[in-house]
Amino acid sequence: MTELHSDHDHAHAPEDAGLGYYDIMETAVRELLISKGYFSADEIRRQLEVLDSRSPALGARVVAKAWTDPEFRRRLLADGRKACEEEFAISFYDDTQLIVLENTEKVHNLIVCTLCSCYPRPVLGLPPDWYKLKPYRARAVSNPRSVLAEFGTHLPEDVEVRVHDSTAMVRYLVLPRRPEGTESYTEDALATLVTRDTMIGVIPARLDGSQP
Amino acid sequence: MSDTRQLVERLPTDMGGQPADAIQRIEHAMAPWEKRCHALADVLDFHKIINTEEKRCGVEALGTEMVNKLSYYERWIVAFVNILFRKEILTPTELALKMQEVETARRQHESEPPRTHV
Repeated sequence: MTELHSDHDHAHAPEDAGLGYYDIMETAVRELLISKGYFSADEIRRQLEVLDSRSPALGARVVAKAWTDPEFRRRLLADGRKACEEEFAISFYDDTQLIVLENTEKVHNLIVCTLCSCYPRPVLGLPPDWYKLKPYRARAVSNPRSVLAEFGTHLPEDVEVRVHDSTAMVRYLVLPRRPEGTESYTEDALATLVTRDTMIGVIPARLDGSQP
Repeated sequence: MSDTRQLVERLPTDMGGQPADAIQRIEHAMAPWEKRCHALADVLDFHKIINTEEKRCGVEALGTEMVNKLSYYERWIVAFVNILFRKEILTPTELALKMQEVETARRQHESEPPRTHV
């Protein structure tokens, strides 16, 4: 993503039929490494399947379980990766820890990666473009309330905002607050209220699951 | 002079706390090669050829101009190439020849008449 110039990533021409310089470079690198025996074509194919299998729906199931099962919530907050692996068989294909941050009445958590684009991919899939672009990365740490306001989230002054800067080894996931009025909801119904952005921490979970 | 001082004190990827514009809720569907590039990154990591931190440093090492002008996955693949050269896993010549071969094959494929049309 071009941080200082506009949205260059939008400019990819779908009609270039794989003739783009970087597209060709990717294929050449991959084929050379396969021919040298570093890995197989099948490993790439399988990893593409893994990437396709990861989406915020996974994280939503984790959050809904934490909302309804205090014992799981305790395990999740103690060791996010272990709890996800044990309870949901979510494989952490990268070598990262997962720290789950619980939002409360008094604390609101927000995740960012100021240096690059580290993100809890095993449970949320790939990050949205805005997460990887300069405005979010630059401002989330210095003025999180203004960032939240741009997402329509206005927190009372007495709520502490904690911003967590991810690294290559440590990834975060926000456990949003369970919306009021959901006491009778099943775990599956609760999961539908949990969107990607609630788990990044830019919006709260709402009854209709919608974004502002 | 103050311009170059900025370059020294702030690496191109070190953005935390800098002034910046409003967030644009940009989301785009990944191009097929971008997704392959992501899978390649993961497989390189599994095999301990290039780990996440090396990748991040590799992007940083591209320098301000490239970091600003290349798109996200363009930066990744160029960083991988530089790292693979440095680790003597690939040479610039073999990559150049392979890229030529891939391009030629794709152009030929492009110019072939579609087979499915009656």
